[in-house]
Amino acid sequence: MVENRRLGDFFAHLILIAGVAIVAFPVYMAVVASTLDADTIANGQMGLLPGSHGLENYRRLLFEGTSYTTRAPVYGMLVVSLISALGIAIGKIAISLISAYAIVYFRFPLRMIAFWLIFLTLMLPVEVRIYPTYKIVADLHMLDSYAGLTIPLIASATATLLFRQFFMTVPDELAEAAKIDGAGPMQFFRDVLLPLSRTNLAALFVILFIYGWNQYLWPLLITTRDDMQPIVVGIKKIVSTHDALTEWQLAMATAVLAMLPPVLVVVGMQKMFVKGLVETEK
Amino acid sequence: MAGVLLDNVAKIYPGGVNAVRGVSFAVPDGGLCVLVGPSGCGKSTLLRMVAGLETVTSGAISIGARVVNDIEPMARDIAMVFQNYALYPHMSVYDNMAYGLRNLKTPEPEISARVRDAARILELSDEMLKRKPRALSGGQRQRVAMGRAIVRKPAVFLFDEPLSNLDAKLRVQMRVEIRRLQRRLKTTALYVTHDQLEAMTLADMLVVMNAGRVEQVGAPLELYERPATTFVAGFLGSPPMNFLNGKIEAQGLARMENGEALAYDAGHFGPPIGADIIAGVRPERTSFAAGEDGLAFKLELVEELGLGRLVHGRVGAAPYAVALPPGAPLPPGETARLAIAAGDVHLFDGKSGVRL
Repeated sequence: MVENRRLGDFFAHLILIAGVAIVAFPVYMAVVASTLDADTIANGQMGLLPGSHGLENYRRLLFEGTSYTTRAPVYGMLVVSLISALGIAIGKIAISLISAYAIVYFRFPLRMIAFWLIFLTLMLPVEVRIYPTYKIVADLHMLDSYAGLTIPLIASATATLLFRQFFMTVPDELAEAAKIDGAGPMQFFRDVLLPLSRTNLAALFVILFIYGWNQYLWPLLITTRDDMQPIVVGIKKIVSTHDALTEWQLAMATAVLAMLPPVLVVVGMQKMFVKGLVETEK
Repeated sequence: MAGVLLDNVAKIYPGGVNAVRGVSFAVPDGGLCVLVGPSGCGKSTLLRMVAGLETVTSGAISIGARVVNDIEPMARDIAMVFQNYALYPHMSVYDNMAYGLRNLKTPEPEISARVRDAARILELSDEMLKRKPRALSGGQRQRVAMGRAIVRKPAVFLFDEPLSNLDAKLRVQMRVEIRRLQRRLKTTALYVTHDQLEAMTLADMLVVMNAGRVEQVGAPLELYERPATTFVAGFLGSPPMNFLNGKIEAQGLARMENGEALAYDAGHFGPPIGADIIAGVRPERTSFAAGEDGLAFKLELVEELGLGRLVHGRVGAAPYAVALPPGAPLPPGETARLAIAAGDVHLFDGKSGVRL
């Protein structure tokens, strides 16, 4: 049996390693490409080892931008992406927390209707309602602004449902004990519910930050100014040049830079993320 | 310090469920009143109305001299211990106990003094005060929940089945502790339980409830000795009272369903001759007769309790249990005769179950 299990372990690892290689290799190639000079890539002589132009490529990309297309430095795009991703994640969490709190803990008229209305928006993501949303944002003069980049994406049924499910698992006695202890509704929310939702908050933050960071269609639609473009839109613009050679080393460097923040968020919050998704003890 | 007065209190839930139907009784200042009854009898609802967690449909609840119907829970000067403890999981034991006082804007040194005082009474060590509830055992959590109640120095303690989540041994121990603590603090307490043994041992005053109504109020032994209804008689005592149907044949003599006669104490106003009755006899007040007199008993099963023996069998078709003291001999065969003193027979009306 022991022998068999070793063999099994070996194959399991083999498959996992193959899987990791398949996923990681293109990423590695992007990193390699971002350290080469333009000629090497254009000649098709790209090898497997990093070149020596890395620092120069990244410096130029971050602070000057590409030669032909967007001309905006990627540093600005990173700032735009960061602000809108944070805005979307934090805004979504804040709104869904309080709406879930209202739905679970308060008895008000049309409570179930409110709940189902929120639920219904699950079926209406931005892509579906893109034209009316665009019209509203344009009428409110929010094009090319952070408000326009974030607010339409903030309303979120998913997060509301998640918090609702979580709040419903919190024993009623806890709210009653708080009531007897003299905590008002807001105080109960702040002193008991929020600290208890900490791990859920973290898990949700990771998911929503990545969701916000990866937004492509919406920013593409409502931003026209180069300095209001998130990096995900920027990559596309750097790649598609009409009458000039694509600067692949810079496109790859942009891709690497676009990948980094989500990776950092996931790695940094991994422990809480997992806890938030699996923890059951209340 | 204050007593609790319930005056014709009723609760009808929005769905139309009538959970409490006109309950009135008074708990004297410093008394421990136990509400007992089967699940769904309305005892918890009643307690939650006193706590202010449920609204009162009609009637009045007073704590001290004040009607509290429309007063917020926190302003009622009460503290509650919940069945599942309801400790705040993310707060340390100390913070759990201090939370209510902080909301009252009590100065921090005062809070610290009160919490340490409560911890000393409940034998919670300083090291335990720093822990989170999840790092405590069930019994310790229970103590913390009680600590959270006593630091408030409330006029009334409310206990909602506080021992139900503990194992049997710990339950006995905590029961004694709650009694000792309540005596020491001399705080009025309302205590809800479905466990008749807990109710009997803890109460100064016992309120037996059934289907939203009070069946009987009184001292535990009084209820045990003179149950007002068959419900109370059957609920208090383990094993419960035996019931046999019959008819009054003459003053002091009832003819049971199986055709045999049972003598009862005809001291007071006896029921009319020919009336249908239920005769109740406690298992421990029954023994086996040596001769041929007494009700015929068919033996079915013997339980050894260590503290004595429990003999299950039947009188006619009705089940009947006899509790024997340790060492008492079992009847030799499958059948035996029961010796029942006339003074140990409780008579209840055959229809309503009310004591005669």
